[in-house]
Amino acid sequence: MKKGILINISVVLILGFCGLALALDYPTRPITLQVPWPAGGSTDTGARILASIAEKKIGQPIVVINKVGAGSQVGLTETARQKPDGYYLGFVSVPALNTIILDPERKALFDLDSFVAIINQVIDPGLIWVKADSPYKTLKDVIEDAKKRPGEIRASTTGILGDDHLAILMMEEAANVKFRIVHFDGGAHQLTATLGGQVDVSFDNVGSVMPRVKGGQLRGLAVMDKNRSKFLPDVPTTVELGYPTVISSSSRGVLGPKGIPAPILKKIQDVFLEAMKSPEHIEKMEKAGLAIVPMIGEEYAKYLRAVHERCKPLVEKARLAK
Amino acid sequence: MEALQCWIQGFSVATLPINLLYAFIGCVLGTLIGVLPGLGPAAGTAILIPITFNLDPIGAIIMLAAIYYGAMYGGTITSVLVNVPGEAASVITCLDGYQMAKKGRAGPALGIAAIGSFIGGTFATFALMVVSLPLADFALKFGPPEVFALLVVGLSLVTGLSGRSILAALLMTLFGLMLAMIGMDPVRGAPRFTLGIPPLYDGVGFVPVVMGLFGVGEILLSMESPVVEVIKTKISDLFPKKEEWRVSAAAIGRGTLIGFFLGLIPGVGAIIPTFVAYVVEKKVSKHPEKFGTGVIEGVASPETANNSYANGAMIPLLTLGIPGSPTLAVLMGAFIIHGLTPGPFLFKERPDVVWGLIASFYLGNIILLILNLPLVGFWAKLLEIRYQYLYPGILLFCILGAYSLNQSIFDVGVMVVFGVLGYIFRKIDWPLAPTILALILGPMMERALRTSLEMSGGDLSILVTRPISAVLLIIAVIVLISPAIRLIGQKAGKD
Repeated sequence: MKKGILINISVVLILGFCGLALALDYPTRPITLQVPWPAGGSTDTGARILASIAEKKIGQPIVVINKVGAGSQVGLTETARQKPDGYYLGFVSVPALNTIILDPERKALFDLDSFVAIINQVIDPGLIWVKADSPYKTLKDVIEDAKKRPGEIRASTTGILGDDHLAILMMEEAANVKFRIVHFDGGAHQLTATLGGQVDVSFDNVGSVMPRVKGGQLRGLAVMDKNRSKFLPDVPTTVELGYPTVISSSSRGVLGPKGIPAPILKKIQDVFLEAMKSPEHIEKMEKAGLAIVPMIGEEYAKYLRAVHERCKPLVEKARLAK
Repeated sequence: MEALQCWIQGFSVATLPINLLYAFIGCVLGTLIGVLPGLGPAAGTAILIPITFNLDPIGAIIMLAAIYYGAMYGGTITSVLVNVPGEAASVITCLDGYQMAKKGRAGPALGIAAIGSFIGGTFATFALMVVSLPLADFALKFGPPEVFALLVVGLSLVTGLSGRSILAALLMTLFGLMLAMIGMDPVRGAPRFTLGIPPLYDGVGFVPVVMGLFGVGEILLSMESPVVEVIKTKISDLFPKKEEWRVSAAAIGRGTLIGFFLGLIPGVGAIIPTFVAYVVEKKVSKHPEKFGTGVIEGVASPETANNSYANGAMIPLLTLGIPGSPTLAVLMGAFIIHGLTPGPFLFKERPDVVWGLIASFYLGNIILLILNLPLVGFWAKLLEIRYQYLYPGILLFCILGAYSLNQSIFDVGVMVVFGVLGYIFRKIDWPLAPTILALILGPMMERALRTSLEMSGGDLSILVTRPISAVLLIIAVIVLISPAIRLIGQKAGKD
C-alpha cells in the first residue's frame, strides 16, 4: 500500500513538473476549440469570433471544429475524454450540459467534475416568438388559447431538455397551461417549421432570431428575463407580463478536460478574457445580438453548480411528463 | 431577379482561382477513377473524402462533385478500348464502343462521347439552375410528416429498383437502417446498441463504411478478374465524320432528356438511364439490326445520358436533401462532414456554397471536355499500369484515409470489416446501394417521424391525413409492391 502511495506521489510530482515545463512554452502547436453544435448556429458564431481574436494574442492558430450530435452530448463526451494539456478545449451550452448529466436516461459518460471551467462568454436570454402573420399578437393570446385548448397548442424547442424545453415547462407551471411540445434539431429547423406553420409558438433565444424579429419576419412576444434586451427593446419581459418565475437563458462558455495544469489554465483564461474585452469582439458580438458576460474560473464553476441545482426539479418534471 | 443574383454570386465563387483549381483537381481525379476499372465513383469519392478534410467546405464540395461527374467521362475510355467498363454507367457503351475501336474508329467513339457528355452535363446544369430555387422554396413548406414520407419514397425506390431480388434489396435496406440506429438517439440523446464502446457513441462512421463496402470490396473482387488486353490502336481523328454527326446530334438530344428526367427520380442510379437511352435509340433507329456492331449513336446517346443524369440528380440532393445514388449519398456525407446539410435550408443559409457548386459544374464540364478530347491518349496509357502495382497502392490509401478521419484505429477496423462484407455481398449479388442510402437517410427519417408524432401527440394518422404526405406514402407502397405483384404474376403464368 505504502509503495502505491509513494508511486502516486511521485507520479503527481512528475506530472506537476511536466506541467510547469509545458507552461513555459505553451502553446507550441495549434489549439483545437470544439463546438458541440452545427456550424452557423449562434454558439458556433460566438466561438469563431472568439477564436479569431484570441489566436492573434496567443500566437498559435485556434482551430474551431464542430462535433455535432444528441443536443451537444457527443461533443461534450469528446471534450471530457481529451488529454488535459490545454490543446483541446470545448465550448459548452448551459443548461444543456446540466440536463444531460441530470437525466439518467442519457447515460452521460461525464459529470460536472469531468471538466474544468475556463471562461463564460455569453448569456443569451430566452425569447418566446411566433411568425409575423400568426393570430397571436401577445403572450396573453397564446396563454388564453392554451387554456381553451389544453395540450393542443404546438410549442417548439431547439432540442429536448435544452433551455427552451425547460422554459416551456416553467411557462406551463406559471400559467397553469399544457402545451404540445415539439422538439427540433437546432434553431434552423425550428425556424423553417415555424414559418411553415408546423408549430404555433416557438421558444428560442434572443441572439438566434433577433435579426428576423427586427426584419419583421417574426414577432417577439416576450423576453424571459428581468430586464428588456438591449437588442429587442420593444419586446416586453415575462416579469413585466406577470410571470416572474419564468426566467430562462442559455449561456455559452469554454470548458476543458479536468486536470489542465494551473499555469496553462491561467494563460488560456488571460488570453480569452483579453480577447473578450477587445473592441473587435464586442462589436462583432453586438452585431450578432449576443450579450457578453465574462465569468472566469471559480466564479464560472460556481455559476455552473447553481444552474445545476435549479435544473434538478425541472428535469424531474420533464421525465415525469413523458 | 433573385435568381439572376444567385447565378452571378455562384459564378463569382466558382471562378475564384482556388476553386477553379479544386474543380480541376476533381476532374482529373474523377477521370482517373473512371478510367481505372474496379474503382467506381462511389468508392472514389469515399476514398478521397479524407483528403478534403482540411479544405474549406466550398472547395471540398466542388472537388468531390467534380470527381463524381468526372468519373462519368472517364468510364467511357475503358469501355471503348478494353471492353471493360471503367464504371458501371458505361457498361452499355462497351457494346458499340468496343466494336468501333476494333474497326479503328476508337477516336470518333471517344470524341462523340466527350462531346455528348459535355452537352448533356451542361444542359442538366442549366435546368438545375432554373428549377432549384422554386423547388427549394416549395420544399420549405414540407413539415416533418412530408419529409418522412419523402424519405420513405426515396428508400423504397432504391429498394425497388436495385438488383434482381426485391427480397435481397429489402434486407439490405433494413441492414442499413439497423446500422443507422447505432449511436446516440437523435432526439433523446440516449446511447443505443453501443455495447459500451465509446467510438460507437458517435454511430458507425459513414465514411469508413462506404470506403469498405465500395472501395475495399470492389478492389478485392477486381483482384479475381483476369488481366485484360488493351487494344493497341492509334487514336486519331477524334472528330466524327459528317454523316456520323447527323445521326449523333439527335441521339445526344434524346440522351440529354432521358438522363435529366431520370435524374430527378431518387433511387434510379446512374446505370438505368444509359440502358433506357440505348434501348430508345435502337427503337427509333432505321437500322436497329446494326446495333452492337459499332454504330456511333449507340455510344453517343448513353454516354450523354449518364452525364445528364449526373448533373440532373443533383436536383433532389440539393433541394430536398435526398441522394439518388450511392455516389450522391457519399457526396451528401461530405456535405455533412463539412457542417452543411443539403436541402432547402442550404439555399437560405449558404447560397455561396449552393450556387458556387452549381456554377462550378459548367466550368467542370468545360475542363473535362479539354481533358478528354486532346488528352485521351494519355488516359489510355494509364490502362497499361499493372493491377498488381495499382491495387495495393489504393488499399494503402484507403487505410491511411480511414485512419486520418478521426485518428482512430477503430475506423480502420470498421472499414476492413465492411470491405469483407462488401466483397461477400458482391459475390452473392446483393445490392449495396440500399444499405448506404439507408445508413445516411435513416437518422433523418427517424427524426422526422418522431417530430411528426410529437406534433400529433402520438397519433400516427398525421402521416396519412396530410395530403402531400399521403400521396407520397401511396407512391412508396406502389413502388414496393409492384415487383411482388410481377413475381406473383410470373408464378401464376408458370402454373
